[in-house]
Amino acid sequence: MKTGNIRDFLYEPPGPRTQKRIRIITGIALLGLLALLGLIVRQFSVTGQFDTKYWSFFTKWTTWRFLGQGLLTTLEAALTGSAISFTLGFLLMRGKFQGKTVRGISAFLIEFTRGVPTLLFIYFFFLVVPKTGWKPSAFWKITLPCAISACGVVAEALRSGVNAVPGGQREAALSLGLSERRTFYRIVFPQAFRYVIPSLIAELVIVLKDTTFAYVVSCAELMQNAKVLISNYDAMLSIYLVVAVIYILINYLLNTLSERIAGSQRRSVQMIPEANKGVAAHG
Amino acid sequence: MDNHSSVPMIELRHVNKHYGDLHVLRDISLSVRKGEVVVIIGPSGSGKSTLCRSINRLETIDSGEIFLEGEPIPREGKKLAELRGQIGMVFQSFNLFAHMSVLDNITLAPVDVLRKGRKEAREEALQLLERVGVRDQADKVPAQLSGGQQQRAAIARSLAMHPKVMLFDEPTSALDPEMIQEVLNVIAELAKEGMTMLIVTHEMNFARRVADRVIFMDGGQIVEENTPDRFFSDPESQRARDFLHSLHAE
Ligand SMILES: Nc1ncnc2c1ncn2[C@@H]1O[C@H](COP(=O)(O)OP(=O)(O)OP(=O)(O)O)[C@@H](O)[C@H]1O
Ligand SMILES: [Mg+2]
Repeated sequence: MKTGNIRDFLYEPPGPRTQKRIRIITGIALLGLLALLGLIVRQFSVTGQFDTKYWSFFTKWTTWRFLGQGLLTTLEAALTGSAISFTLGFLLMRGKFQGKTVRGISAFLIEFTRGVPTLLFIYFFFLVVPKTGWKPSAFWKITLPCAISACGVVAEALRSGVNAVPGGQREAALSLGLSERRTFYRIVFPQAFRYVIPSLIAELVIVLKDTTFAYVVSCAELMQNAKVLISNYDAMLSIYLVVAVIYILINYLLNTLSERIAGSQRRSVQMIPEANKGVAAHG
Repeated sequence: MDNHSSVPMIELRHVNKHYGDLHVLRDISLSVRKGEVVVIIGPSGSGKSTLCRSINRLETIDSGEIFLEGEPIPREGKKLAELRGQIGMVFQSFNLFAHMSVLDNITLAPVDVLRKGRKEAREEALQLLERVGVRDQADKVPAQLSGGQQQRAAIARSLAMHPKVMLFDEPTSALDPEMIQEVLNVIAELAKEGMTMLIVTHEMNFARRVADRVIFMDGGQIVEENTPDRFFSDPESQRARDFLHSLHAE
């Protein structure tokens, strides 16, 4: 079985005439985009957004250090948050394979965390949690809600990975005398995990983006520090542009990483459908 | 068979199983003596796989009892895992662990279940791979092997547990014709060495050659038990006759 990009399954390869049409439409779209960009740039210069006062502070080392500190906090929050959400997600996924009660609770928690917007969890930690007497730092007030918000999605991703592992793998392990538990940890989960690495990295990107809500709790991460700079220099557009580029770069790197891993997986783990060819043909 | 012990290696007593309304195993009673090679034959859907898989409880049963050397095989728990380890199983689709090297596939259970030392397990695994003729593939992942090589490695993986009995569920059905023989040869070799085996197969020549006894199943029942010579030349039941006829017609 060939596993190509999902696009290969959704679209027929275009013929020569369609290709020509696609080229023309692409050309027109590009021209339109260029025109729009030109308009924006003109509008900026008219309103004086290119004045040196909006950009000169980027030559100062302290500006970059300040943004860099914010970026570090952002990365720290995203990584800690992801680690927590992967742990919670793993537990919820395990819960989904347990007896009725645990399964029900897990299913509820998964749906709940997936359904509620991250911002609500953040407000909860910001407004409600401190009233209980527990006063987490600003860092945790952003990291924990982001983690909780992501854990349901992680659980579902892991579960779909587990379900994608052919049943024969589990049966072979059981037939050798491994316990259900050992079978899961030695055979099923390692394969499931490889399948879902790309989804997990996508979720890491989402956690990273969610941490931009940190301004709500005044945690000094990238976005919050950007806001401080904006009020200091009264330069909104230039700073937002630079910060956006930083976010795009990070997420681009993560996506590249994810595609790399997915690609190498396809080369090494894709043997399974091959091994099951006979079974599939047999019904 | 120089077999004087009266306790059968495998024994099924009045085993029944349903899939919804479908009665797939109908009051199956059967025993396999130590060192005996029993081949199960029957049309598609007759319940051969279900029977095979129910022995080590990969398939649940509704009623009846199953014994390994006189010991009842429980439905769950530690004891079940322990007895499963003593029953080798070879699948149609090989089911080698896709994320490990061939060698690791074979050492996994001896190390994990039998608590063997890594080095010892490794040496034995290499010997087993040598025996089934894929020693040079030890460090590859299963996907890099041909179907025939994968199946032989899977047999080596079962043997590494020193099973008391081996179950084969159509071990060559997923293989290209030119690979079938190499796998059948390995199984025939095991038969010669006295391994107790229960084999589901559609390879009639092979069945005739290695079987001590043939069991013919149809519609979830054991319709006939016979010696291979009698079964293939002059079966007792009409259904077996029809079945063998349909094979020749193909
Ligand atoms: N999981 C299942 N759910 C429902 N019905 C099933 C299931 N597995 C098998 N069956 C049915 O049970 C019957 C016996 O199946 P089984 O696989 O044991 O047959 P078989 O003799 O091994 O056939 P084959 O030669 O095709 O492998 C068939 O009618 C099959 O459709
Ligand atoms: Mg079958």
